[in-house]
Amino acid sequence: MFVIVNGHELLVPDQQTLRELLSLLSPTAPFAVAHNEEFVSQANYGERRICPGDRIDVVSPMAGG
Amino acid sequence: MQSCHTEDHLTLYGHRFTSRLLLGTARYESPRQLLDATLAAEPALLTVSLRRQAAAGQTFWDLLRKAGRPLLPNTAGCLTAQDAVTTACMARELFETSLIKLEVIGDDANLQPDPFGLIEAATELVKLGFHVLPYCTEDWVVCKRLLDCGCEALMPWAAPIGTGQGPRNPAGLRELRKRIPDVPLIVDAGLGLPSHACQVMEWGFDGVLLNTAVSRASDPIRMAKAFADSVRAGRGAFLAVPMVAQELAVPSTPEFGRPFAPDSVVMASGSLMSEFVKS
Repeated sequence: MFVIVNGHELLVPDQQTLRELLSLLSPTAPFAVAHNEEFVSQANYGERRICPGDRIDVVSPMAGG
Repeated sequence: MQSCHTEDHLTLYGHRFTSRLLLGTARYESPRQLLDATLAAEPALLTVSLRRQAAAGQTFWDLLRKAGRPLLPNTAGCLTAQDAVTTACMARELFETSLIKLEVIGDDANLQPDPFGLIEAATELVKLGFHVLPYCTEDWVVCKRLLDCGCEALMPWAAPIGTGQGPRNPAGLRELRKRIPDVPLIVDAGLGLPSHACQVMEWGFDGVLLNTAVSRASDPIRMAKAFADSVRAGRGAFLAVPMVAQELAVPSTPEFGRPFAPDSVVMASGSLMSEFVKS
C-alpha cells in the first residue's frame, strides 16, 4: 500500500501498525509522530493501524524562535 | 544601605528562573555561534521547534543538550488550532516539558496571531494539562479570554516577528501591564535593540523573548550579552521605582548658599556644612 510519510508517497507492506512502519523507516531519535494529523504517543505505536493513503509525520527538534 | 534583589525570580507555572530573558535558537550562522550566544545571554529558556525529520535533527538535539538550558518548544507555523494542539502534543513527548509557546498565525504578511485560533487552541491545551504561553497581541479582550481559559502567562508582541521595530504600541502595552498586574507578561517578538528590551522591562513586563535581534546582529555573542544586561537594567529600574517626570526644571544642585547671588544667605563660619547635614 501507499502511505504519505513527511509529505512523500511511500510503498510499504500492507497491514502495518505504526510501530512496524516506524521500524521500517528507522527514524533518528529523538522523534515524535502524528498519524493523519493526530498525535500518537510512543505507548500507542503498536495499536495504531495504518491504512492506504494515511499520512504520517515524523518530526524532530529544530531551531525556533 | 543599598537595596538588593537577589531573590527576584521569573516564575512561570511554578518554574523559577533567575534570568528574565528567553532566547530563540534560529537564524544563527553556525551551531557554535548559537552555543556562544547562549552562554553569553544565560537565558531562562531556549525556544525550539519541531519540523519534519531531516539529517540535521540529531545534530541540533546534541547542540541543545550541550547548551544545557531549559527548553520552551513552540508551535511556530501552525495556522489552525488543531495543528497547534497536535504539534504541542508531539513537543511535550519529545522535549519532556508541559511548557508550550503557543503560536497560531493568522496572517502571512505580518505573522500576526489569529486570536480565534489562539483561544481555541489554548482552551484545549489547558484541558490537556499544558502550561501555555500564548504569543498574542496587546489586545486586552483577547488577553482576558486567554486568562479566562486558564493561561497563567501571556506573551504579547512588541511588533511583528523578526522586524526589530521595537514596541509599536507603547500605550497599549503599558495599559495591558496596568490591567494585568499579577500575571507574568513576557514581551515576545519585534524587539531589535537592547534599549527596546530595557524599556519594556522598565514598564514592568516580566521578561522578553527574542531571537532575530541577537542571531542577525553582526556580532551575536556581544549582542546576546548586551540584551542580557539591558533586561537586568530595565528590571532593576522597575524595582527601584523611577522618579515622576516633571514639567519644569528642578535644580539638582542646592540653591542654598549660591555665590554671587543677590539674595544669598550669609553664613557664619563653619555653619554651611552643618546646615546641609540638617536638611
